[in-house]
Amino acid sequence: MTVATRLRKTSKTWSMFGDVKKKPSPYEVVTGKFHYHFRRDPVPFEMDPDVPLNRWYLKNREGSPFQVDDWEQFRDPHKLTYKEYISLQKSHETYVDGLIDQFEDSNAAEKLDEGWVATLAGLYVPLRFPLHILQMTGLYVAQMAPSSYITNCSNFQAADELRRIQRVAYWTKVLANAHGDHLAQTGSARDPWENDAVWQPLRKVLEEMLIAYDWGEAFTALNLAVKPALDALLNWQFAALAASNNDRLLSQMFTEFQHDSERSQDWTQALTKYALERDPDLSKVLKGWLDVWEPKAHAAVVGLAPLFETAPVPMAAGDVVSEVGRRYTELRSGCGV
Amino acid sequence: MPRLARSEWYDLTRDMNWTLAYVTEEQAWPKDLSNGYGVSTEQWWTWDEPYKITYPEYVHNQAGKDASVYAINAVVNRSKLFEQLDPGWKSAIVAHYGAIAVPEYVAGIGEARMGRFGRAAAWRNMATYGTLDETRHGQIQSYFPYTLLDKEPRMDWAHKAFHTNEWGAIAARSLFDDMFTANDAVSTAIQLTFTFETGFTNLQFLGMAADAMGVGDLEFSALISSIQTDEARHAQQGEPTMKILVENGKADVAQKLIDHMFWRSWKVFSLLTGLSMDYYTPLEHRRHSFREFMDELINKQFLDQFRDLGLEKPWYWDDQYQAEQNWLHHAYHLGVWFWRPTVWWNPDAGVSPQERDWLEEKYPGWNDSFGKYWDVITKNVRADATENTLPETLPIVCNMCHIPVCTPAGYNAGFLNSPDPHILDYKGRRYTFCSEPCQWIFEQNPARFQGHESLVDRFLGGQIKPSLHPDFEGGTITTTHLAGVLDYMSVSMEEAGQDATDYAWAFEERDAAGIEAS
Repeated sequence: MTVATRLRKTSKTWSMFGDVKKKPSPYEVVTGKFHYHFRRDPVPFEMDPDVPLNRWYLKNREGSPFQVDDWEQFRDPHKLTYKEYISLQKSHETYVDGLIDQFEDSNAAEKLDEGWVATLAGLYVPLRFPLHILQMTGLYVAQMAPSSYITNCSNFQAADELRRIQRVAYWTKVLANAHGDHLAQTGSARDPWENDAVWQPLRKVLEEMLIAYDWGEAFTALNLAVKPALDALLNWQFAALAASNNDRLLSQMFTEFQHDSERSQDWTQALTKYALERDPDLSKVLKGWLDVWEPKAHAAVVGLAPLFETAPVPMAAGDVVSEVGRRYTELRSGCGV
Repeated sequence: MPRLARSEWYDLTRDMNWTLAYVTEEQAWPKDLSNGYGVSTEQWWTWDEPYKITYPEYVHNQAGKDASVYAINAVVNRSKLFEQLDPGWKSAIVAHYGAIAVPEYVAGIGEARMGRFGRAAAWRNMATYGTLDETRHGQIQSYFPYTLLDKEPRMDWAHKAFHTNEWGAIAARSLFDDMFTANDAVSTAIQLTFTFETGFTNLQFLGMAADAMGVGDLEFSALISSIQTDEARHAQQGEPTMKILVENGKADVAQKLIDHMFWRSWKVFSLLTGLSMDYYTPLEHRRHSFREFMDELINKQFLDQFRDLGLEKPWYWDDQYQAEQNWLHHAYHLGVWFWRPTVWWNPDAGVSPQERDWLEEKYPGWNDSFGKYWDVITKNVRADATENTLPETLPIVCNMCHIPVCTPAGYNAGFLNSPDPHILDYKGRRYTFCSEPCQWIFEQNPARFQGHESLVDRFLGGQIKPSLHPDFEGGTITTTHLAGVLDYMSVSMEEAGQDATDYAWAFEERDAAGIEAS
């Protein structure tokens, strides 16, 4: 056997991409085909075939009913690389810093109505707990996804939750400085989260979502049921409630968070369509999961809606629920389910 | 800028620990994904990261870092800088990208696992940044070699290696799957972030960055220095995890996890970094020897760190580890060079007379031990008999580290008592190990490894078809029995490694005594 001593002159792209007609974009070059372990023969990981994590991935990823022949053609509609994600969010964070500067300069927190502060104590302060579970589940979907194209979307989504939590936490501290230290104590957030009846339907669905380990079900529960409902409740309804109670900072901040939520919805719709185009029967799989998760997400919204009636300028609980429902239906129909 | 300092509000971003009501702890943090090792939930909630950072700080810092590193890439792409690099150095970076780029990306899975199954909110937040960091490292270390594909087609291995059964890829995949992709969150914090990232990435990322500057590879130097700043941050998930284990009477657990992964990391890094530093980096640009880097970064700095945490050096430190540092990577180098068609880079022999002097200075006795093998190789090359310097079949491979067993070389160099590999018969199957610690790791947890087949097991089991090309032709590089193996490894004829300098080293003379010119 002779090993040729000259190498071929040019390689257009990664050989793992096969014979591609169009030159891959920089986004594709750094995103496609990184999960060497997906459907790897004989098992995902280079270990004993029966180690728990091999079995876990075979069951919850390769064995998920949410399955198509090839996930590698899926694309994030925003085509975000790490570099672009960071750059995008830097500009959004600069905007939020500016917002906070503006409202701190005018001592806006101190001027808030005490009744509104009481509403915030019940509705706003505990939020970091449920939002943290959205972050956790986003990272679960990411580690289980069958393609790095999907993993990256879900990782960025989880980081967006961290972003939202931190801004909520920052302004909680500002509120505490103006209206009482207790607002910044862990108990002021954890106690309602763990004990108040209004929070329990949300806590229930989120804790249950933590153990939805099939990757397709986790994706469906998070991105097609719970997160869109919660995002609609917070980024739209809570933002509107804040505006009508003269809390323009929180109104504008949550409106800003909607950019992140829209990005989540964009890739969710794209992925769902992608799967259904390849296998229309998957609509039954998705519908089966949604039959479980959508009512629970709805119950969470119904549970929290009465808090909107406690504001000095209240919003009727029924209106909150129906508005969230309307937005949710829009998303779901956009997904083709 | 917002008025409150980070310290005034940071704790409100990390206190989201709560008691489960609707599912059980074992359901939400199953042992297979998060082994709490019996430490109570409330104790885990005390997890405290030494390095604090907020999301806005993160995106600002990272945007700046990315902008500067990509700017260097753009400038270098328009220059002739890559073409001017030393061939040995090019091999070092081709090896680096293949062994590191995709594993860094999938380290994001390990980070995401800690981000979901870590046992405190503060930890899960740090792991969220870690997930982003590893996405960065996977992408940036793929993009740079991608931009070099036209100049160096072997850069394809930056993306391809982990999809193949090339033997080095099997060894690296076995290490990294054990360390994070197939590991639980708590063990990952000890084994990936503490043992590996605090210890060994310093070697590859700081040590090689120093060499890269010397060589004039501005791009690689800037790239890996920038990556190391992220590693230094997210590696700090290990220490608080260790502290909790130690404070709760689980020092033995932490010790065992470290002893296990330190040894495995040592093996793969002596293969990757050892060869790059002591043989592939041009002589005039070597800042330190691999051994000197090990002494400074691992044997001193890292050892101090785990002693500070109340742990001991691993049990094999004095007898096995210290001894191997004298010979292991020299043996690996000899093997990799001999089996060069099976690697994706061009091994640089690195044994010109001047380089041999340097090796003798840094590793006294080198000429009398490893030099002797190279004398024979040199004679063959000079006699135009390179076919004698090429392999015909596979070596024995260790069932733990999956690197060829080099014990005869260690024995001949005077560092081992026996040239024989370690043999273990377990449940009707025979396992071969290169060293006592590799066997020990297996025996600590056989279920984790027992059903796995090494490259040689696959060969003997018939999964790899032997030679399909018995014809023997003359030429620069010829080999007789490896074609089937190369097919299995996805190493094409064009990609199979060759001597990096076309044997120039073998013909270099020196003034004083040395190899005789034939």
